[in-house]
Amino acid sequence: MRLKSKASNYLQIYLMLFPSLLIFAVLSVYPIMWALKYVFYEYNGYTNPKFVGLDNFIRAFTRDPLFINALKNTFIYVGGKIVIILPLAFILAIFLNKKTKIHGALQALIFSPTIISSAVMSLVFYLMLNAYNGEVNRLLLKLGLVDSPVNWLGSKYAMLSTVIVSVWAGLGNYMVYFLAGLQSIPDEIYESGAIDGVNSFQKLIYITIPMLGPMLKVILMLALITAFQDMSNILVLTGGGPFGKTNVMSLYVYSLYFPVNASDTATFMPQYGYGAAVSVISACIVGFITVIYLKISNKLDDIY
Amino acid sequence: MRLRQVCINFIKWIFIGIILIFTVYPILYTLLGSFKTNWELTSGGNFFPKKWMFSNYTQAYIQSNFLKYSINSILISGTSMFIALLTSSMAGYVFARHTFPGKKIIVSAYLAMMFISLGAVSIYPVYILFHKIGLTKSFLGLAIALTGSQATNVFLTVGFVRSIPVSMDEAAYLEGCSYMKIFYKIIIPLIRPILGVIALFAFRYAWNDYLIGLIMTISNPDLMPITVAVVQLKYSMNAAAEWHIMLAGASLAIVPILVLYIFTNKQFISGLTVGAVKG
Repeated sequence: MRLKSKASNYLQIYLMLFPSLLIFAVLSVYPIMWALKYVFYEYNGYTNPKFVGLDNFIRAFTRDPLFINALKNTFIYVGGKIVIILPLAFILAIFLNKKTKIHGALQALIFSPTIISSAVMSLVFYLMLNAYNGEVNRLLLKLGLVDSPVNWLGSKYAMLSTVIVSVWAGLGNYMVYFLAGLQSIPDEIYESGAIDGVNSFQKLIYITIPMLGPMLKVILMLALITAFQDMSNILVLTGGGPFGKTNVMSLYVYSLYFPVNASDTATFMPQYGYGAAVSVISACIVGFITVIYLKISNKLDDIY
Repeated sequence: MRLRQVCINFIKWIFIGIILIFTVYPILYTLLGSFKTNWELTSGGNFFPKKWMFSNYTQAYIQSNFLKYSINSILISGTSMFIALLTSSMAGYVFARHTFPGKKIIVSAYLAMMFISLGAVSIYPVYILFHKIGLTKSFLGLAIALTGSQATNVFLTVGFVRSIPVSMDEAAYLEGCSYMKIFYKIIIPLIRPILGVIALFAFRYAWNDYLIGLIMTISNPDLMPITVAVVQLKYSMNAAAEWHIMLAGASLAIVPILVLYIFTNKQFISGLTVGAVKG
């Protein structure tokens, strides 16, 4: 009797788990298995896959200037985005950390870009940043900040524009993360600080920032991981161009898989095996950086 | 001292003002620009349109077929939201309340996959697979692909279910309720707040996606969601002459979600940190 009910219970459990497991298997596990197989093959979707061993990995590091370029660009992009977005979001959070109607409305407005499609807005930015009749140059000229129109998507400023657009799209998220961190600091600490007579600058340096420590670690890690994965905004804004100046690794892999859709590529045949290898390399780099970062930040915790 | 305070306040509000313009201006430019003529857009005009060209929208709807793509987007995002709610609530409940053979392996696999991303590489095999079994012929395939494995939402639900006293389940079990009945009679009503957040986020994710929609509809452009259709205008023949259509299309893609945001901004903002703090 008991055994029977147990079996029927398990059946119910697995039935309820089944839809989730099925999607997980198809959308998460299967593609990774597929990629791990094809990293060892040369495969373009038309001819039979050819086993090449580790040659795809060797090719990436020794014979592929496009990969090295994408690697370099990725670090510029990720570094630039984090260096701009985190301080801005932090200052905003400090300024807007009050529970009044106005502060709430300002938070909601600044958060609004994160709600809408960044691909669609990248198309709008593509128009706004147009060198000849874009809105950004027009405003800058009117305000007298530049003398002649700037070619924002040309080779000199394309990366800067890309970073700024991604800061636009993500700023609200990080502001909210920092606000959550600030609100988790108990008021008593500030009160005891006030009794000791600290001014607002000391309050920031000696109370807020140290208390934010653990949260800051999580936020920085989130920022790192998402910045490495950013791609559709870059794909729409610049397509990796001009001359590969904004071609980051996620986009390079995409162009190896879907050469027709990417506008700035050197190859015209898909290279599924090599693309899989590049994406595995970049996943390893992200993993490696995360581990090192966690090690370093734990060391810092020991020191404090 | 008084003067310094005034100065600090002044700098503070200047800073907030600049950021506010930086964040909101592009959205206003899109919305207002969608009513301007192409000439007014490219040659520069006022902030507000000289004449409100509602015809941009009729042109976008009829000529560029955006009505169809909007409907596609609604169907795709709605289906994806439904699948997300169904899978993550059931899985979350099971993980939170029951032990069963294989649980440890499954949970750690879910956790591991949250941190591994292969970008475009993981979409291609799924596309080929769905193509083979005919799922790319309807919007269902795209909706499933957009739902993803829901690992984050599953763990959100786990956290929420754990906050409900187990005694409620036990009482119902003793009354003869099956696990499934306990799930939809007791758990579902109690975890509604988190289901709301999951629904909002799933809907927004599916609505805003570009890449998965682009790839999954390669062989069947009739199924394109609106985001993909709008961005395709950039690559069309007379892109230079169609700024007003692009902005009308962009507005069609962002206004529904902005309207949703006006009513639910509290959930959107707090939902973000629920995930961040726990995850």
